[in-house]
Amino acid sequence: MKKNNMVAMILAGGRGSRLYDLTKKVAKPAVYFGGKYRIIDFALSNCANSNISTVGVLVQYESIELGSYVSKESIWGLDMLGGGTYVLSPREKDNEGFSAFRGTADAITQNLDFLDQEEAEYVLVLSGDHIYKMNYEKMLKKHIETGAEATIAVLEVDLKDATRFGIMNTNEDDEIIEFEEKPAHPKSNLASMGVYIFSYKTLRKYLKADDKNENSNHDFGKDIIPQYIKDGKKLQAYRFRGYWKDVGTIDSLWESNMDLLSEDNDLNLFDKTWKIYTEDSISTPQCIGENAEINNALITQGCQVDGKVEHSVIFTGARIDEGAIVKDSVVMNNCHIGKGAKLTRCLVQDGVNVPAGLILGKKDSKDILLVSKQVVAKAGDQ
Amino acid sequence: MKNVLGIVNFESNYVKVKGLDDYRPISAASFLGRYRVVDFCISNFTNSGIQNLKVLIKNRPRSLVEHIHATNYNVNGKKGKIHLLYGEREYTDQIYNTDIASLSANMDYIEGSDAAYVVVAPAHFIYTQDFSEIVEFTKEKGNDITVLYQPTDNADKEFLMGDVVVMDKNQKVERFTRQRGRIKDVNVSLETYCMKKDLFVELIKKAEKTSSLYTLSNIISDVAKDLNVIGYKHKGFCACINSLQAYYDASMHLRDDKHMHGFINEDWPIYTMTNDSCPTLFKEGGRAVGSIVGNGSSIEGKVINSIISRNVVIKKGAVVKDSIVLPNAVIEEDAHIEYAVVDRFAKVSDIQQIIGEADDPVYIKKGDRI
Repeated sequence: MKKNNMVAMILAGGRGSRLYDLTKKVAKPAVYFGGKYRIIDFALSNCANSNISTVGVLVQYESIELGSYVSKESIWGLDMLGGGTYVLSPREKDNEGFSAFRGTADAITQNLDFLDQEEAEYVLVLSGDHIYKMNYEKMLKKHIETGAEATIAVLEVDLKDATRFGIMNTNEDDEIIEFEEKPAHPKSNLASMGVYIFSYKTLRKYLKADDKNENSNHDFGKDIIPQYIKDGKKLQAYRFRGYWKDVGTIDSLWESNMDLLSEDNDLNLFDKTWKIYTEDSISTPQCIGENAEINNALITQGCQVDGKVEHSVIFTGARIDEGAIVKDSVVMNNCHIGKGAKLTRCLVQDGVNVPAGLILGKKDSKDILLVSKQVVAKAGDQ
Repeated sequence: MKNVLGIVNFESNYVKVKGLDDYRPISAASFLGRYRVVDFCISNFTNSGIQNLKVLIKNRPRSLVEHIHATNYNVNGKKGKIHLLYGEREYTDQIYNTDIASLSANMDYIEGSDAAYVVVAPAHFIYTQDFSEIVEFTKEKGNDITVLYQPTDNADKEFLMGDVVVMDKNQKVERFTRQRGRIKDVNVSLETYCMKKDLFVELIKKAEKTSSLYTLSNIISDVAKDLNVIGYKHKGFCACINSLQAYYDASMHLRDDKHMHGFINEDWPIYTMTNDSCPTLFKEGGRAVGSIVGNGSSIEGKVINSIISRNVVIKKGAVVKDSIVLPNAVIEEDAHIEYAVVDRFAKVSDIQQIIGEADDPVYIKKGDRI
């Protein structure tokens, strides 16, 4: 039995080019996070925990790893009859030929047949690259109660940061009267989280119209939402309180990992009532060696730590040899940090071997150093 | 290994693991922070390509029934199967609850199998072994029965009350004797057998007629003089979890990184059920050395040469040394434990130091408050 008639559509087609080598071969939502997860586990687990049974994942850029991962629907308990995860990639169609997704809205437009077939009444549009925990079922309840055509989740940010976000200006009932993308002089501090609930009938009409509009970018923020406002459709803001982070850059990805090290971080991965699910790695238990020195770290299954780890996050299967020092860093899956190597303020890409004795990163560096195979090779030459 | 039926036998009646087996069969006990003891046996089968398994279970089956699912063990969803066999009869005394009684109660499923060979292995032994080698050896040499054995020079302490395999120079088993720990150097039986299915069925029937208390080991011992029973030497680590001490010693041996990674690796993974716990958080002041740590734990105290299972909390100022802490236990602020096995959901406070000895670890009961 379907628990509600809301279908989730996760936008997961982007490259995330500001993650550089991390997204050279995988799409951003498939990038590893938080020791044992992938970024998209958060959106998928939120869907599962919010009793959503049908989830479409819109893929485009480097989709092999991402697509095969999200297809394993049992990981998130999304494997019940009548539900599931559906990998939706650009496809050739009768009479229309083949076209890539032209924008976030177009990705949905090209899959209206899927939403028709699922008999969606409401459509939840999400980004596959945000780290947060959110109950979409509560948001749907609010959407229905207010009778809005669309409900947009918003986060209160510091006014000085508001220039970086899409900002919603609202009236006293939290109805959205204006939308400004990265305003120079923000009038409100309500930032869009990129989480939308649409009543499907209306959305369908707007997407069909947008499809024909040659001047459109086919984007939710730039085109669809402004059009709703222009036409006086009721748009509701839904205030979210809690941890939310767009991990679009190396610095923000690093920072979001570091947030997990503070004692009572808002994300609280320990919460048993809202677990974040991920694929089990069938690795050995975590081994902390005789020479290990650990202080404030997040370490997971399959790791072998015999060096010094301070204020760092160590991902599945990583090895840190005796005498190595890892400080204020993120070490991704199956990395090997050799004897006496020293990493400070680094983010080490998965699978990278840092040879013995190599020193990378600086204590007071402005930016976090992304350590890829190329960076290691270059450092070795010097 | 399509034509091989795998049977996971339950632990023999000589197995007495103080405390732990009050709550579950030893095969269901947590091991190395992440596994259950039975995972090793089942993974041996599935890694050997034996996809059709019968798991015998006896009393207190809840934790095993919950844990053992084909999907957890890399079994082909269509062509493979893990079948739990529960002896239907009620026994007033555990001595009647033998593997033979259980097998004969489920005889239809054994006889009805179209497998030509069976491999039987006990759930309370921790070792890795490619069973397909044993099947090939049995076929090639035309053995009636192949029995897996391991030489030990530590028989005064380990494998007690199991079987000793006495063989001639051609590895032919002359007889089995009881391992009472009087001689240090012996070949111990790993209670793992390979034979044709028809012979297996015949032996079950024969054992049942001989005595109500008979076990599979007993009947194989009886027929050893008439049949061609051949020993097959096991190489590598092996432990028989027949006491709390044996459980503790095996855990502590594999706690060593080199021992564990020589034993479990990518070529021979050990499968288990995932719990979806988050990684372990070492808070400010949280320390660990020489230890295995399961996921979902939160560590603010000191952990030294210990095994911490999943979802364990070790609070500020607490010291856990040379100990095994099972899932969901809480070690409160400033508590101090050494050489202890703390069962699930127990809470240990600083009221009293818990100090056992390496050759006599203290056991803290499940859910206990101390």
